[in-house]
Amino acid sequence: MATDANIQVEPRVEPSDAGLKALVSGYRPLPGVFDEMMDADGRVRAHWQPFLAMLGALGSDEINRRFAAADRYLRDSGVFYRVYEDAAGIERPWPLSHVPLIIDPGEWRQLVAGLTQRAQLLEAVLADCYGPATLTREGRLPAAVIAGNPEFLRPLVDVAPPGGAHLRFYAVDVGRGADGRWWVLGDRTQAPSGAGYAIENRLALSRAIPDIYRTTQVERVAAFFQALQAEIFALNHRDDARACLLTPGPLNETYFEHAYLARYLGLLLVEGEDLSVEDDGVFIRTVSGLRRTEVLLRRIDADFADPLELNAASRLGVPGLLQAVRDGKITIINSLGAGLVEARAMLAFLPALAPVVLGAELKMPNVATWWLGSAATREQMLGRFDTMVIAPAFTEQFDDPHPRSGILGAKLDTAQRKTLVQSIRDRGIDYVAQEAVTLSSMPVWRDGRLQPRPFTLRLYIAKTGDRWRVMPGGFVRIADTIDARAVSLQQGAATADAWVLARGPVPETTLLPTAEAMPVQRASGLLPSRAADNLFWVGRYVERAEATLRLIRAIVNRVADSAAAPVIARITSLLVAWNAAPSDTFQAPATFTARAVLTRADLDGALPRLCAAARSAASVIRDRFSPDAWRAISDLVDMISSPLPPGPAESAIAERVEAALRIIASFSGLAQENMTQLAGWRFLELGRRIERAVLTCRLTRCFAEPGAPEGSLDLLLELADSQISYRQRYVMIAALKPVIDLVMLDPNNPRSVEFQLERIETHLGALPKQNPEGRLSPAQQIAASAATLLRTTNADEVDDKLIIDIENALMKLSDAVSAAFLTNNKRTEPTWEALA
Amino acid sequence: MIYDVRQTTVCSYATPVSHAHHVLRLTPVSRDGERVQVAALQIIPEPVQRREGEDFFGNRLTWIEIEEPHSEVTVKLSARVAVDTPDELAPLSTPPWEQVRDEASSISDIGPLSPAHFLFPSRIVSLDPAIRDYIRESFPPGRPILDAALEVITRIKTDLVYEIGSTTPTTTPKMCFAQRRGVCQDFAHVMISGLRGIGLPGAYVSGYLRTVSLTDQPRLQGADAMHAWVMLWCGAKLGWIGLDPTNAVLASDAHVMLAFGRDYTDVAPMDGVILGSGGQRIAVSVNVIPVG
Repeated sequence: MATDANIQVEPRVEPSDAGLKALVSGYRPLPGVFDEMMDADGRVRAHWQPFLAMLGALGSDEINRRFAAADRYLRDSGVFYRVYEDAAGIERPWPLSHVPLIIDPGEWRQLVAGLTQRAQLLEAVLADCYGPATLTREGRLPAAVIAGNPEFLRPLVDVAPPGGAHLRFYAVDVGRGADGRWWVLGDRTQAPSGAGYAIENRLALSRAIPDIYRTTQVERVAAFFQALQAEIFALNHRDDARACLLTPGPLNETYFEHAYLARYLGLLLVEGEDLSVEDDGVFIRTVSGLRRTEVLLRRIDADFADPLELNAASRLGVPGLLQAVRDGKITIINSLGAGLVEARAMLAFLPALAPVVLGAELKMPNVATWWLGSAATREQMLGRFDTMVIAPAFTEQFDDPHPRSGILGAKLDTAQRKTLVQSIRDRGIDYVAQEAVTLSSMPVWRDGRLQPRPFTLRLYIAKTGDRWRVMPGGFVRIADTIDARAVSLQQGAATADAWVLARGPVPETTLLPTAEAMPVQRASGLLPSRAADNLFWVGRYVERAEATLRLIRAIVNRVADSAAAPVIARITSLLVAWNAAPSDTFQAPATFTARAVLTRADLDGALPRLCAAARSAASVIRDRFSPDAWRAISDLVDMISSPLPPGPAESAIAERVEAALRIIASFSGLAQENMTQLAGWRFLELGRRIERAVLTCRLTRCFAEPGAPEGSLDLLLELADSQISYRQRYVMIAALKPVIDLVMLDPNNPRSVEFQLERIETHLGALPKQNPEGRLSPAQQIAASAATLLRTTNADEVDDKLIIDIENALMKLSDAVSAAFLTNNKRTEPTWEALA
Repeated sequence: MIYDVRQTTVCSYATPVSHAHHVLRLTPVSRDGERVQVAALQIIPEPVQRREGEDFFGNRLTWIEIEEPHSEVTVKLSARVAVDTPDELAPLSTPPWEQVRDEASSISDIGPLSPAHFLFPSRIVSLDPAIRDYIRESFPPGRPILDAALEVITRIKTDLVYEIGSTTPTTTPKMCFAQRRGVCQDFAHVMISGLRGIGLPGAYVSGYLRTVSLTDQPRLQGADAMHAWVMLWCGAKLGWIGLDPTNAVLASDAHVMLAFGRDYTDVAPMDGVILGSGGQRIAVSVNVIPVG
């Protein structure tokens, strides 16, 4: 096997009893808490021993080194999450706790059985609630428990979900109680998050401790995702249709995961505005026109899915999507409305519904829950107030990982208690009482040793064909403190991988889908117009940033030369005209100007704004960049926004300019080499080429006009990065006509305007055809006539008017590209004046 | 009473709109106490697509899509509607309000007219404690529900100032109550918020008032425009009863129902998504003429 060579590289770890003992020596379970690794008598549980013996054999220093390698892998892969409440949208490094939760095979079988049964139950309950409502009419499920749920989508009542199922990808949060039993804490049926992060956790860990991972016979998760992918693709019936992942966009806290899963599952990542509902189905707006889609894996909450019939204020949805669902034109995973069964109030009724619906008791209990809408239950629970957790009956709008809003009755003071009891008496329908669950703990690696922390485990189950399939693994969230209460990523908790031990040897499969299991993707170049638009602007901003940096460099290089003052003044006026430097800069020293252009965030032509704009456009289409290219843009923003030492400090300015130009060069190289999306790369290129041509025209008008000060032509060659080409052709000082010829007309100089136009023509020619009859498109016509004008002009005929004509043509070209391929309309909704 | 209803709605844009999707809730339907003899919507410019349907609560929906560039959309309703005169009610013999509350929360009917849908906060009606406490004053233990509700509409008309322009369609009941002024929509929302706050089912009704009052009756606020009022579920026996807090009257045969929902957003006459930039204005004119 080819991989054997790689395996030999890592020294094989021999399990060591001494190492195990050293590892657990200071570890004590928390009082009254079930610990996953150690029993109450301080013995390490059998299924943890092989793992710990190998980990212990590494020794503390090596463990630290290995775990740091996992963190490095995650950082290099660009794994992050976003803090939702933070307006600045700060991205946090991914908090991986490196010790996995280890699950015994026998116990896993029970979890699988419990989960499978629960999925069947929830599917049946959903089908009933959106169908005949027998459970309600028979008095088994109060109408208020359904009607009060914000996820009960009335427009979809009596609509069978296209594809025949409400649930296809479902997650359950489980926790182990003090009695050692697993309990269901909550159901995630709307659009469960975390599966993509679970894959990344697995990859990071399996790379950091590959030897231990291989020896410990861990069930692989790849096959689960292959099956899910096959299921999604099977729902796409037509040859020309493309399955999509519908994301709310880059401001969502788990956007990274959306982009990651889309790539992993071979889905097109789209936002609401990428989709259009027509009378015969749902279509993706692409640069090649409308393309059909029949399946959406959605990560937007249902209420935002259609501004026409649901939340009218939603900018994330697709107008008419509900109508398409009613017409059976689109399968949505999970169905719009499936969030209904996430409500805590449901937990109060599911145990009694199971025998009615499935003919069997629940195999895995859920946390004991009572809905306080019924008068008798309300009085009974108010009597046990101190021992109960009181929580909202219905699900919060966002993906709340845990019943965090629950309050333990005993923890309230007299006034709080009085208020809450009155609220419950007024509107018991809004509340549930739940038995308090003490979560079990698992080890985390802190300060060079293992320590117990409470956790919850999220498990995933997918419908594949007629059966349910559970992902053998999971997504563990670990509390930051020893208090076994709310666990949420937003509150600084960590995540961990879950290793399900196999009974026998595990086949060495890669997590990446195997070649034969990968379906053929006919439309791999499919590019949504929104993505193309953003790529185009990334290109323009990056190019503008590069040109601006070159101007700063030109200033800094000339500061010491008093004879260069007129040239510096001319550069400064150009920067002021571009709104890159403040207009009062003329009296200031040149380094002041350079510093302003590099640091002023209030000027929209200065570097901070240009880089931020490039990054913001890129963030919307992050899935289209390699992690390296994305990191280059991020690094650029980070560097430009970090403080520059105060004072003139030419060297600091010069260093920063050089470093920034290097990052831009590496971005260009990475985009050139690594962007597989052919059409996407062309839009990035079009943006850069158009911007470069325009800027070169402007620089030429500024520095190659007859009245330009001494040294202007050399400067122009420097700005256009054309000194070497010039010196190769002309062994003499810069002269007007040869310089103009080189920067404007020479088709062999990669910086000349003519060269840009030829590249633009090539890219336009390779884009999807808009004109079936073979005529040149408007953009092509403009490019061709501008290129022809330059080709038929001699250097001594180039004057201001001609250059301005070329600039205007380039502007028109940019508009024509937008009109033909990109989205240039903004969506708004009518607002009403007062009625009466 | 039979009425001819004419409503013209004009939505005009500052800059032309190239593409628009709308959902219109501008056609009355026959329901308990009201029969629509004929109703037609005329839409200019002509939509490329037009579909008719109904929402969960039984209201008529018209989906339209306009593809030509346009600066305004005009929707004209012409309808003839027969409205029954409501039965005389004896407020003091209606059930105690707590009994209605418990009946509503334990009901096993999930159909469109079930009170269960109208017990909870909805898109624009949050449950404001200040409004709840205000409404609660009229609901001492054991008071017959309709007796209490009639006091509520009288208090709202007295305590809140009717002032066109003081609010917008997105004004929440909390905002209206805090400033003690608003229009019919706000008064209805305030009352609904308070009723739900103490566990009673309150619904929102959009519709019209007879334009010309009979000579022996005072002119009602909200004629010549769209009007809004409240329905309160008073137990399975009495069902839904209309209450107009703007005019402090029970809904009568001068009230013509257009649509029924949890709040304004369920019955908004025209929702939509347009491609374009710039603002828009909507002008509405209404005529409700008795014909017999």
